[in-house]
Amino acid sequence: MILLENVSKSFKNGVHALRDVNLYIEEGEFVYIIGPTGSGKSTLIKLLDGELVPTRGRVVVADTDVGKLRHSKVPLYRRNIGVVFQDFRLLPELTVFENIAFALQVIGLDKVTIRRRVREILELVSLEDKAKSFPRELSGGQQQRATIGRAIANRPRVLIADEPTGNLDPEKSQEIMALLEKINIEQNTTILMVTHDSNLVDMNKKRTIALEEGYIVADIQKGGYIHHD
Amino acid sequence: MIPYMMNFFKSFPFHLKSAGVSLIRHFVMTLSASSAVMITCILLSAFLMIVGNVNGFADNIEGDIRIHVVLNDTIQEEEQIAQSKNEIEQISGVLEAEFSSKDNELKLWIEEKGEIFSIYEGEDNPLNHAFFVSVNDSERIETITNQIKELEMVDDAMYGGDSITDLISLLNTVRFGIVIFMTLLGLLAVFLISNTIKMAIYSRNNEIMIMRNVGATNLFIKIPFMIEGMIIGMIGAIIPCILTFFGYRYLFMAMNGQLFTNVFALQPIWPFTFEIMCILMIGGALVGLLGALISTTKYLHWRR
Ligand SMILES: Nc1ncnc2c1ncn2[C@@H]1O[C@H](COP(=O)(O)OP(=O)(O)OP(=O)(O)O)[C@@H](O)[C@H]1O
Ligand SMILES: [Mg+2]
Repeated sequence: MILLENVSKSFKNGVHALRDVNLYIEEGEFVYIIGPTGSGKSTLIKLLDGELVPTRGRVVVADTDVGKLRHSKVPLYRRNIGVVFQDFRLLPELTVFENIAFALQVIGLDKVTIRRRVREILELVSLEDKAKSFPRELSGGQQQRATIGRAIANRPRVLIADEPTGNLDPEKSQEIMALLEKINIEQNTTILMVTHDSNLVDMNKKRTIALEEGYIVADIQKGGYIHHD
Repeated sequence: MIPYMMNFFKSFPFHLKSAGVSLIRHFVMTLSASSAVMITCILLSAFLMIVGNVNGFADNIEGDIRIHVVLNDTIQEEEQIAQSKNEIEQISGVLEAEFSSKDNELKLWIEEKGEIFSIYEGEDNPLNHAFFVSVNDSERIETITNQIKELEMVDDAMYGGDSITDLISLLNTVRFGIVIFMTLLGLLAVFLISNTIKMAIYSRNNEIMIMRNVGATNLFIKIPFMIEGMIIGMIGAIIPCILTFFGYRYLFMAMNGQLFTNVFALQPIWPFTFEIMCILMIGGALVGLLGALISTTKYLHWRR
């Protein structure tokens, strides 16, 4: 489902964010990406999303060579994947309801279907009472849940989440984990989740890939957090 | 294509709303771009009034210019006359040679010079048969006249004179200059609108990125900007339309529908002003659309 072959990414300022990364993730897998700050986790996500183009190597998601997509085809590719961004990226002029509805509107669903689906989603991420609120009126955790809701609204085959529990307390984090696991099992959605939360990784053991200075330094099935001495 | 069109209509309220919000947000720029369109449109309107009327004058004059061809006095038989007509009409640029018998010639002569010449009526008519020759291009009238003069059966050929053809070629030159000037003004308006749209794109940069993130196509993102451009263009065209409507009516009334003589009859208020207003509105919208297209293709593509 996700394949990275000899992928390197360096920026104009000379930073090598990823170095010769090789990775294969099967359909239906649930994988953690861990690593210290600046290790290249968000860069990896942006490569998968098509926002960045690899300097070298190949990024393939659901049979699409993401780095080779034409500019006009990038949005169409994104309709098959859901992305939860570290910085939320909600549209400030739209309410929570409208933000989620918008993602369905651009792919051309009809109004009735959209409304039904958005209500379902709001319930799923427990934001029913915030439907009419604007992003600036929400706490970080609430915005995060709105973003997750938007990412899963069109039932993507792949869900890529950058720190989806970054702003949540342990209890809410566990709730989100339960939600992601449910989507993973019930819809067979492939999930790639970036996290800093060692407790969460330890409690819900899954395949864990560790990045450090752009290298993959560990790839452990049923891993748990890798602690440094 | 059909499902895509359906989407377009479903999301049209969305596009219209975001175009409107953006217009208000960039009020000052909208205003300046609209003013550029407005000035262009006012000038365009004035030019169209002039061109439309000059064209009308030219058509009137051109219709009036005919070459008077007097035949030799040896040409009397009907057969000879038919052959002469044939030969004249063979000359390229000649539309028609209309026969004018010597009796008719005398009648015209009397009309012009006075009753005293009526003594020549009947057997004593000293005039020859003639033709009135119309041409399809007034600028070539001199050459054609000379060609006709060379024909064997022709005694003399003459036309209204140089002053009229000079006027026509002057008008043609003016028309040409007007088109060039209009194009330049139009380009300025396009530039100003594309600048306004550029600012709108910059200020919504974040939004555009998020829209792309959730799968909005380039066209979907561009549509509000194109609508915005067209609205700016049409706002700019409104005042010139009003000015056209009342201004031409006023001029027409004040000049009694003509300029000096009825050869220079002014275009009737209806549908002339209506046509100009349509051209202004469509022109404004097109200029706006062009400006928006330039900016959207140029500035929407620098983020994936
Ligand atoms: N657009 C950019 N231009 C230049 N350098 C960048 C850019 N984006 C990221 N970097 C650099 O690339 C490296 C990896 O950044 P990245 O955002 O992938 O880290 P991260 O693992 O997500 O960190 P965090 O846990 O803090 O989110 C960092 O050194 C960062 O400064
Ligand atoms: Mg990051």
